[in-house]
Amino acid sequence: MNTNLKISNVTKIYPGCVANDNVSLEFNSGKIYALLGENGAGKSTLVKILSGVIIPDEGEIYLNKNNLKLNSPLDAKKNDIGMVFQHFNLFETLSVFENLIIDSDEQRESLREKIDSIMKKYNFSIDLDIPVLNLSAGQKQKVEIIRCLIRNPKVLIMDEPTSVLTEQETSELFLSLKKFSEEGILIIYITHKLKEVMQLCDEVAVMRRGKLISVSEIKNENIESLANKMVGQNLKTIKKKKAKTSSDQLIKITNLNFSSEDPFETNLIDINFSVNRGECLGIAGISGNGQSELFQVLSGEIISEKNSIEFNNNYIGDLSPQERREYLMAFSPEDRLEQAAIPQMKIFENVALNNFKSSNFFNNGLINENKIKEHSKKIISDFNVNTDNIELKSQFLSGGNLQKLIIGRELITSPDLLICFNPTWGLDVGAINYIHETLIKINEQNKSIILISTDTDELLKLSDKISVIHKGKLSKIMNAEEVTSEKLGILMGGAN
Amino acid sequence: MIKIVKRDQPPRAIFFFTPVLAIFLTLVAGGLIFFILGFKPFEALKFFFIVPIADKYGFSELLLKATPLCLIAIGLSFCFKSNNWNIGAEGQLTFGAIVSGGVALLFYEQEGFYILPIVILAGAIGGMLYASIPAILKTYFNTNEILVSLMLVYVSKLILDYLVVGPWSNPEGFNFPETRQFSDSAKLPLLFEGLRIHAGIFLALAAVVISWFVFYKTYLGFQMKVSGFSLKTARYAGYKGKKMIILVFLISGACAGLAGVGEITGPIGQLHREISPDYGFTAIIVAFLGRLHPVGIIFASLVVAITYLGAETAQIFMQIPKYTGQVFQGMILFFLLASDYLLFFKIKFIGSKK
Repeated sequence: MNTNLKISNVTKIYPGCVANDNVSLEFNSGKIYALLGENGAGKSTLVKILSGVIIPDEGEIYLNKNNLKLNSPLDAKKNDIGMVFQHFNLFETLSVFENLIIDSDEQRESLREKIDSIMKKYNFSIDLDIPVLNLSAGQKQKVEIIRCLIRNPKVLIMDEPTSVLTEQETSELFLSLKKFSEEGILIIYITHKLKEVMQLCDEVAVMRRGKLISVSEIKNENIESLANKMVGQNLKTIKKKKAKTSSDQLIKITNLNFSSEDPFETNLIDINFSVNRGECLGIAGISGNGQSELFQVLSGEIISEKNSIEFNNNYIGDLSPQERREYLMAFSPEDRLEQAAIPQMKIFENVALNNFKSSNFFNNGLINENKIKEHSKKIISDFNVNTDNIELKSQFLSGGNLQKLIIGRELITSPDLLICFNPTWGLDVGAINYIHETLIKINEQNKSIILISTDTDELLKLSDKISVIHKGKLSKIMNAEEVTSEKLGILMGGAN
Repeated sequence: MIKIVKRDQPPRAIFFFTPVLAIFLTLVAGGLIFFILGFKPFEALKFFFIVPIADKYGFSELLLKATPLCLIAIGLSFCFKSNNWNIGAEGQLTFGAIVSGGVALLFYEQEGFYILPIVILAGAIGGMLYASIPAILKTYFNTNEILVSLMLVYVSKLILDYLVVGPWSNPEGFNFPETRQFSDSAKLPLLFEGLRIHAGIFLALAAVVISWFVFYKTYLGFQMKVSGFSLKTARYAGYKGKKMIILVFLISGACAGLAGVGEITGPIGQLHREISPDYGFTAIIVAFLGRLHPVGIIFASLVVAITYLGAETAQIFMQIPKYTGQVFQGMILFFLLASDYLLFFKIKFIGSKK
């Protein structure tokens, strides 16, 4: 049976921003559709409307010519629309089976049979009776997908599903999605990764600033043309020049261990590496393999043994982040909104979070607001943050602008080493390019970078050396030219 | 049709409007309760809110009650702004009073300008010591500060009970549960002849100014603010989060302790069983009604202080129990929490579409 989903003249307005501006789209089963756009383009709003999370101001949705009134996620489920969100909605301590039946009122026994048959059909192998916290990200996603499949959906919406997956898991996912599509499920795939669109989809709809820009068949497009539509300008492709080989060692980590009392944290086991001046060391890995702990140990949020970290011929393992900053280290954490910045505080107050001695942000214990503001203005203009109001609360900056502010704040001391963790996570192409250019510039100035990232493309683009972290252990350090994304994928999965 | 819409950013005006709305709703609901009880609502409200402060004496009484509320609420605002839920100010007040009272008794029948400062300091230190218990347990043993600070209230009240009945009771006091009168040098001076308002009010005003200065102008205040929003950010910036937690508890304990000093070294001049009509708990309402802002807290403490006075007047003139005062305090908090809904949502009236 054919499924036809039609979005007709949908508009959603938020104060100060039109999230969806009169969007009309039509989907038919048998094809995989990509909904492509930068962050803030309105694709998330559109799929939230389709899944009943947001109610549009205007416009209608039709499924097989029936006008749908989606007032809640439950309405969407009842109308056979399934959605897998970017962030998993699973109860970590419950078993897989309990997670699957939690929103169903069918008999447990019949459901178990149904789930077994679904798993068999699509070659999923997951133990139903272990707690979800023991699953890998890829398996968790499969649980989410099964949860949708139980209801025999006509439409399956996937929101940025590959952000936590390895290469191998991604290709498995793509195989499954193609199978679903053959079975007649209409697939809508939301992403900003162009490569995936080319690999997986049949048709692509591009959104920009709330408007639908184009709908076209993939065979008529290529990565460059899509990127231009998405960003709305011709992007220059950036390439890193091969670094001058320097043997001047900047930081050396020796036998660094960290064991946590928290069962949700990863222990770090015998970490050893060094970075030379002007070099970028990339650390790849699937999220949750100890990256966050490694970042914290390097930044000083977690104190380690004094001798385990040698920076510029000083042992600094037992110093706090603030003390490490005085040795010219800088840090850009992964979580922009909960760690690197405080959304409820103003831009200039966030700048003051990097309080190095020579800044004079605070004199004799008093806030020197003029100095902070002066500094903030400089960061905003030097790093292209798109605002001129430093009194603005930083929650009103887009992800890209906030990240520029954070990187700017960290680089204003011209540090010898910048440690960043997923610096472009969730950003749009324009902002990603800007951040990448900035990072390359740092290396050109003979400063070093440790780049912890889950984005393999980013690592291959920026790193001189690459290592992979898996279950708290670091693989051997490889030269970036010798590494391919496939090889990284295998190491990220834990194989040798 | 009425539609509820989520706000992206609450406008500043609403922030100060909802406390006013809460007070208004409290008056309406209070009037309704009086009506049900068979009183004329407006007359009853007049007895409650206007008669008590109509003369000079009443006004002095208002300031007398508002002083400890303001002082404690200022201290609590440090805790609450940084997400530390110290609800044991009553205990810190009591313990502060015990320590300062003990010191005051040491100087029994002695005179000297140095006595009063020592007594005041002793009260602040007592409050700090008592507040440090939940703080240290929270930071080093992961206990819940709400539970610990609350339970310690009853411990301190029992200690006070034991002292005034037992070892510290007045030898010439016919076994009344109270201590000797402090010497005049250990008492806060009264400001006006015939009125009970005393110099403690200056402690409260000083606390207001100092807290404003610390929170908005100093690095320490900035660190507290950041730690309150996100401990993760504080750690990343290199602030000592644990120290910050202990510090806000100490500040809060010191303020409550000072309020305790004011209560015993003011007009009463001795330790007895009931030194505080739950000022420490009521101050929680004051802190929130004043939006944790120093100036807001001044106004809020005056408003809430009226409910204490009103309850007494109502008992005398209308024969209703003075606990009505607590009913009003409860209603203020209730309506404040309810009208805070408007901070995050706005109500839109839209014509019905057909």
